[in-house]
Amino acid sequence: MCNHELLVSYLYDDLSDRDRAAIELHLRGCAACREELEALRSVRVDLSTWAPPLPELGFRIVRKQPAREAWRAWWTPAAGLAAAAVLVLAAAASIAHIEVRRGPDGMTIRTGWSAAPARSDGSLAETGSSVARDVHLSSAPAIDADTAKEILRRVDALEASMRGVSAVRNASTLSARSADAEIIRRVREMLSQSETKQEGELALRLAQVIRDVNAQRNADLARIQQGLGRIDAITTAEAAAHRDLANYVFTAAGKQK
Amino acid sequence: MASTDEELVARSMGGDLDSFNQLVLRWERPIYALAYRVIGREEDARDVCQETFLRAFRALSGFKGQAKFSSWLYRITLNLCRDWIRRERRQPIAQAPEGVDLIDLASESTPSESIEDLVARKEIGQAVARAMAELPEEQRTAIILKEYHGLTFQEIADMQDCPLSTVKTRLYQGLTVLRRQLERDKPGFMDPVRRRHHV
Repeated sequence: MCNHELLVSYLYDDLSDRDRAAIELHLRGCAACREELEALRSVRVDLSTWAPPLPELGFRIVRKQPAREAWRAWWTPAAGLAAAAVLVLAAAASIAHIEVRRGPDGMTIRTGWSAAPARSDGSLAETGSSVARDVHLSSAPAIDADTAKEILRRVDALEASMRGVSAVRNASTLSARSADAEIIRRVREMLSQSETKQEGELALRLAQVIRDVNAQRNADLARIQQGLGRIDAITTAEAAAHRDLANYVFTAAGKQK
Repeated sequence: MASTDEELVARSMGGDLDSFNQLVLRWERPIYALAYRVIGREEDARDVCQETFLRAFRALSGFKGQAKFSSWLYRITLNLCRDWIRRERRQPIAQAPEGVDLIDLASESTPSESIEDLVARKEIGQAVARAMAELPEEQRTAIILKEYHGLTFQEIADMQDCPLSTVKTRLYQGLTVLRRQLERDKPGFMDPVRRRHHV
């Protein structure tokens, strides 16, 4: 072949008019090129038989929901306020973990989260990673009797006050508990009534279904019976006709003899 | 009337995801077919197809429209196929089905085609797949782009970053090798020249 590039262009019909005219002129006089062109066309026919599989593709680009929006979806002012309140309470509880204790060695006011140190020298006590500041107010000679009495009086008043708060809290807890119990009792009662009602309705519906099925069954049986009767009548009539025919045949045969 | 690729691309660039998904729907089959024919594995071709659209979506702002959108997609696909071949360090394989399912075949047949013709067509298709897998990557890609996707020589040259004449040479050489392979491999193959001499 003289020009393979031109032959390929002609094969795919991707060439200018001038080039087409030139190759066609060449092909008229060149048997080798004509044969080659025919062979390449045959290969193209074969190539057309190679089909890829046809899987289900269905790709789609989907925008991811931004994390911020997802956060907003559940974040409401009420939830925020509740979370803030919890944080404040936790912080307050942490800070105000106050322990007031009166013992034989005087009164101890203790803040922090560590266990009480064994020593009682009024210094900063470090226990592990937590720090507890113990302030010991002992009935040492450094405090006069009036001050001590005043402190004790105030501590008593504080304790009485705390007992009162505790009593109120217990009372309200009891009240809440009794209210809860009442609600639970009512809910149970309503559930029980609802169940009873549903059972009654179910029984009624079942009875209706059974009645319907029985009625349908009886109707079907009656229809079958009627059908059988008709078949029986037809069969009887046909048997009679056969009998008559047989008699006629026998009679005719007898006469012929 | 259906929107053109250019219109859908413009709307996609404006943030319209549905328009891009219309482009995906329009082009997923040709892209899958290209990937499958180049690398020869169904599952990997599916992955390449998916990755092509993801990359196109991410790089959409960089698409300036000098080339056709389809050519741009083909280029991304071919790059991914090339990465796959390099990574796997192997030639594409010709996946042949284990057997010929006559029921499947019957569903593909045209009314005028007998089941024998259909079986023969399938077998030739498998022989073609095997022969194509033996070709060097550039020749195989050039034939696939020309034969099955109807790209012009110039478009293939742009895609393969080579001169026009190289594309034609690759096609000629590839087709010639295929012809020889098929003579050897294809059941009952007889090329037209030999057929004529035989008669």
